Amino acid sequence: MRRLLPVLVALGILGIWGLLSTRYPPVLLPSPAEVAQELVGPHNRLWAAAWTTFFSSALGLLLALGVGLGGALAFQRFQWLEWGLYPFALAMQTVPIVIIAPLLVVWLGYGVPVAVATAALLAFFPILTGANLGLRSVPQEQLELFQLHGASRSKELLLLRLPTALPFLFSGLRTAAGLSVIGAVVGEFVGSFGDPPSLGALAMAALRGARTEASFAAIGVATFLALGLFAAVRWAERRMIGTWHPGGSS
Amino acid sequence: MMADGALSFSDLHFHWPDHPPLFAGLKLVFRQGEITAVVGESGCGKSTLLRLAAGLLSPTQGIVSGGASNRSLVFQSPNLLPWRTVASNVGLPLALTGDGSASTSRVQAALDAVGLGHDGEKLPRMLSGGMQMRAGLARALITAPDLLFMDEPFAALDALTRHRLQQDFLALWRARRHTVVWVTHDIDAAVRLSDRVVVLGGQPGIVQAEFLVNLPRPRGADLRHDPRTSAQVQQIESAL
Repeated sequence: MRRLLPVLVALGILGIWGLLSTRYPPVLLPSPAEVAQELVGPHNRLWAAAWTTFFSSALGLLLALGVGLGGALAFQRFQWLEWGLYPFALAMQTVPIVIIAPLLVVWLGYGVPVAVATAALLAFFPILTGANLGLRSVPQEQLELFQLHGASRSKELLLLRLPTALPFLFSGLRTAAGLSVIGAVVGEFVGSFGDPPSLGALAMAALRGARTEASFAAIGVATFLALGLFAAVRWAERRMIGTWHPGGSS
Repeated sequence: MMADGALSFSDLHFHWPDHPPLFAGLKLVFRQGEITAVVGESGCGKSTLLRLAAGLLSPTQGIVSGGASNRSLVFQSPNLLPWRTVASNVGLPLALTGDGSASTSRVQAALDAVGLGHDGEKLPRMLSGGMQMRAGLARALITAPDLLFMDEPFAALDALTRHRLQQDFLALWRARRHTVVWVTHDIDAAVRLSDRVVVLGGQPGIVQAEFLVNLPRPRGADLRHDPRTSAQVQQIESAL
């Protein structure tokens, strides 16, 4: 039932969409069949574009993981660093990524690096906050246990703080997975001319050419990419904490 | 300081930042090889006293003598790390101190001693509350401590499990006779298990009374219904 329900909802949405599409011209609302044709039709660049966007999103997510976790570790070690830098990390999240993206084009030039950077920029904050919270969420009694037995700082970090932080980190990573695809696509809107093909550039070109069905297809593939990255994070989460943490096995 | 004191407080002062003093000139001696229970109302500083004794907190002023020796603490909750197996949790103090000598056999011996010999490979969540407390006790005993501190170790257990674990604890203590300081609200258990009961109270906290428990050892479960136990419990309760 739990697995069947989303399928039934999807079928319902497709049905309503199909009915509505008969009342409007394809340029406003293409039918599901027209979008499907776009997905499987010959000579389309959609799948090559999907690969580029996937690459940018995944690399951006990995970069965000490195920067976010590294930042949280530094914050945990040096409280003054958190006091000094956290407000700026927060402020960066309040600036819309579409405003930052053109600046990145100026600095990095057109192409994949912009999409990687926008993906990383959007994804790093939930990872930083999740890891930061996790590293500080060690129960006092567990800290006392380590203190009592004279644990070194590195042992406390490796054997206590990092394992405690994992569920928090994965919670941030799950949010970041979807954001990384959004970030990559926004980066491609602004910073990609279509070589290599990317979903953002393809969607832009489709809209300019009034090919709404191609735009829908790009949106659909981007959604699947985000779901795919989310699933990969969940897989890693189950592998790493599923046996001992309730959130990791659900 | 008395000659047989394993641990003593002299003129001990302690206060939390921006709080009135919890202790101001406390004097107390815990004797070698004895079990001393510290009782008192909630908030009188029992757990803080235990942490000062264990060296987890530093006094604002005064001296804690003898606390530097090999010590362990049994916490109020089992305090096991959920990602480590039971055996790995029990062996954690050895891993932290870098004392890996024969650690596998020592862990197995510690698990056997608390009746968890066949549960070492399980994760803590697979154990009952009582079994988790046993694992916590095994972890505290694996370093063969000279000083064992216990912070309301039986409080979270049901009555039957509590009495069983108390009897097992007494059996383990008889084998080593290490110095034990424990904090409890359970006056009855304080009498049945301890050699001495210290009543803490007041603001700042002082030793309001100290009772020597006149019950013979070894002490079995039947002591629960012994009139001498009830008499001593009443005596202590009247001092609270």
